[in-house]
Amino acid sequence: MGERPDRAVTDPRPGSERRTLHQLAGVEPDPTRPAIVAERLTESFRLYHERPTGIKERLYRLRRSSFTDFHALEDVSFAVEHGESVAVIGHNGSGKSTLLKLLARILPPDQGTVMTNGRVASLLELGAGFHGDLTGRENIYLNGAILGLSRAAIDERFDEIVDFAGVRHLLDTAVRTYSSGLYVRLGFAIAVTVDPDILLVDEVLAVGDVEFQERSFERMRSFRDAGKTFMLVSHDLEGVRELCDRAIVLDRGRVAFDGRVNEGVALYRQRIAAAATPAAPRTSDVRRVRIEEVSLLGADNAPVAEVPPSAGVTLRVKLHALEPVEACSVGFTVSRADGTHLYEAHTTWQGLGIGPLNTGDEATVDVRFVANLLAGRYAVAVSVTDTTGRETWAVQAEAARFGVQPAAGGAGLVNLAARASVSEGPARRLGDAPGPGPIPLPRLQRRRNRG
Amino acid sequence: MSGRPPPDVDLPAGPTRAARAVTSKLLELWRARELLVQLVRKELKVRYRNSALGFLWSMLTPVLMTAVFSVVFTLIVRIPVDDFPAFFISGYLLWQFFQNSCQGAIHSIVGNGDLVRKVYFPREVLPLSHVFAQLIHLLLALLVLSPYLLYTRGVGVLLYLPVTLAAIALLTLFASGMAMWFAGVNVIFRDLQELFVVIFQVWFYATPVIYPLALVSSMLEGGRFAWIETLLVINPTTWFVELFRVGLFGPVTATGDAARPLADGPPGLPDLATLGGAAAWAVAALVFGYVVFLRRARTFAKEV
Repeated sequence: MGERPDRAVTDPRPGSERRTLHQLAGVEPDPTRPAIVAERLTESFRLYHERPTGIKERLYRLRRSSFTDFHALEDVSFAVEHGESVAVIGHNGSGKSTLLKLLARILPPDQGTVMTNGRVASLLELGAGFHGDLTGRENIYLNGAILGLSRAAIDERFDEIVDFAGVRHLLDTAVRTYSSGLYVRLGFAIAVTVDPDILLVDEVLAVGDVEFQERSFERMRSFRDAGKTFMLVSHDLEGVRELCDRAIVLDRGRVAFDGRVNEGVALYRQRIAAAATPAAPRTSDVRRVRIEEVSLLGADNAPVAEVPPSAGVTLRVKLHALEPVEACSVGFTVSRADGTHLYEAHTTWQGLGIGPLNTGDEATVDVRFVANLLAGRYAVAVSVTDTTGRETWAVQAEAARFGVQPAAGGAGLVNLAARASVSEGPARRLGDAPGPGPIPLPRLQRRRNRG
Repeated sequence: MSGRPPPDVDLPAGPTRAARAVTSKLLELWRARELLVQLVRKELKVRYRNSALGFLWSMLTPVLMTAVFSVVFTLIVRIPVDDFPAFFISGYLLWQFFQNSCQGAIHSIVGNGDLVRKVYFPREVLPLSHVFAQLIHLLLALLVLSPYLLYTRGVGVLLYLPVTLAAIALLTLFASGMAMWFAGVNVIFRDLQELFVVIFQVWFYATPVIYPLALVSSMLEGGRFAWIETLLVINPTTWFVELFRVGLFGPVTATGDAARPLADGPPGLPDLATLGGAAAWAVAALVFGYVVFLRRARTFAKEV
């Protein structure tokens, strides 16, 4: 582009260091600043009940245009450092996609500011801008240009794109004849060729067949390992746990949680479970209770790390009130090592609240359950919420772990305690059952191999 | 959070900030030039992809139009210009470029809703791609028709080629401004695309394409309808057509002789007033159209 990298532009503010023209233009990241800074972002949409777009409607509705303002985002602030991988999770309509659009500059914020530092690429839809009448080859160049790639850059990676998408035999065919899967693959192959400093991805990894999903997942992983910054909107909570370090949980346009991905995912799962009582927007991170200690006790009330199948287990949670609390609820979830959500319960679901507690008071809650699980490793997460489940006051993502010893006669995930008998017809007793352990699901095994 | 404020906060308001905003906008447009090239290629390819004559249509249309108008305005209703076909071509090519640019551009944002909602790029490349695609059509049509013009109007056509090109360049600026205006306003005011046909029909007859401006002056001067001439002079497209015609056809002047009211000369240089007027309109339309478009463009993703 003709600028010399050594040419600097003086910032008029006193005391700020000089930045190169490339950095000012957002072409090169400035390592001294965070990659993304969002400050007090607010975005609202005006939902017209019948959108007036013509003269007649305008005149007719001059006085009584009917609309409601819908706040997609309210007062959202965060900063993302270079190399961080951030997942944005939340219910549909919680503002995830709007947030990404603000960061990608597709929408301007109504209030607040967004600053990005480095080249930004957004992957909000695959194959956006493909033209059905153009051939695959022509669309690669057109779509590449839409994503900001130069012709030379596409020339250089052309073969890579074609092979990744597997469309070599269809290169000179109009893309309207492509299958929808092929269409998306080509879109993804072009999109990942963009080599940005900051990548924004919206739910696009959920498309395509299993094999393609694995490959795109791999691609994202290598992007992360290359130290690039990315933000990912996804409903695939397991994928998110593998790919990201940090999670931002959005709830009705507000940041409900911002922190380690495991905690964020655990919190979001609890919110899904508690969806029966609709969550009100949280005003801030309230921490009224601290989880002092969590332990797992066996039958003899001694701490255990491994239990026999179908053994009774007690989860003991010690709480410490930081503020006066009228009543609170302790919840726990049990999940498999790969994150599959197995069980969840809250004391309020059994009509039990803990409290009232004064500042400094302690309480110990025992939750007894039966580990009807097959052999494997399991994790327990504990949270403390108000009795309606709207506010989370404390959460501990991996509060305890335990293993279950192999049981004879079953395979899979849970112990349904099957007993076989022949009610009609002959039967014979075989020798001692060989006692097969649980067979891991193929997907679980693949994940373990990869990890 | 320890992040410093974004670079464009806390700057003194006024010229510095405005200049920086303009610079960054233009820098961004410059970086999107590859996209503009690809979109122009798309326009050119897609338009005639499934038609048998393909690209030839862009040259055939002005030829057919010239044939029709020549029959009507020389044999049936006489417009007293020698060599009407050449006269008509030297105005119609430019008009066609302008009208087709705006017609393509007016749908360019609304019709690309997918793209606008999902990808960030400088939105102005969408209307501009139509202008540049039409510019290529114009240049090709001019190339095809130039032997005929050379034959009827003499080598002056070649000699004063810079005048023709200057007229095209200025109209490109003007058309870019208008195309952006139409594209941007149509997003919030969809009636515009319905009004478009009427607007351009009126605009076409208000521009001296099928008749010379000199004829209007000589016929209406001092009469009740003298204001019509004023109207034609105010019309910006008049200036571009006049400029284009001087270089390609030659100046048409009134003689004051009732039997033969008009005289035309070979292609020549335009007077400075015509050149200046066209340039002023070009810059004004570009700035106005671009500013309106940019103000609207911020919320396109919400509105399409």
